[in-house]
Amino acid sequence: MLLFGAQRRAGSRLQTLRELYASFIGENSPEARGRHLLREWLSPVQLAQFDEHRYFDVVGCDTAKRYHINYGTAANIHELDGAGTPRVGWCFAPSARLVPGDVMLAQKIALETNENAALSVANEFPPRMAFNR
Amino acid sequence: MPTQIVLNHSGDTRHEFDAADLEALAEAEQRFKKLTGKGFTAATRTRPGEVAVVRAFDPTAQETLFYPRLVGS
Repeated sequence: MLLFGAQRRAGSRLQTLRELYASFIGENSPEARGRHLLREWLSPVQLAQFDEHRYFDVVGCDTAKRYHINYGTAANIHELDGAGTPRVGWCFAPSARLVPGDVMLAQKIALETNENAALSVANEFPPRMAFNR
Repeated sequence: MPTQIVLNHSGDTRHEFDAADLEALAEAEQRFKKLTGKGFTAATRTRPGEVAVVRAFDPTAQETLFYPRLVGS
């Protein structure tokens, strides 16, 4: 009986250790680090949007158009019209393979500081019909 | 301490340097020139959520972020 209890406690501790390890690995993964860095560089409004919906909006520095940057690394930007409806999709990203948070941060910086140059290299795509706002 | 953050496949690599250390400062400036020379964009935070692209090494910037050249994807 005592042995069974000791085994159960050891199993429980092992399970806790496994969960801690998984949590540590998860929080230190490249993707988690990218998300963490992105959150540090977002404005308070963008951060609230991102935490709630995993997207945020930016305003282009050259045209004052609004763009919606979704969580992802490709085909994740929608230009919005005055009513907030996606008008066109834009696809551009850093040339190296980066995690989603880093790609989104580069896209934010590009649209907020050098919008026309960013769009000059971007590919257009039709906005998705099922756009979740 | 001023930090240069280079985005890469592992998330990012950070290089901290002491701005009062001339050797470390020169090394940071070299890194800035090397990365921007390879097409990386350098950006700093001016206020929370506000960013600016920088064209020259700024030893007073607390954080400078570098990301690779943008391409259509």
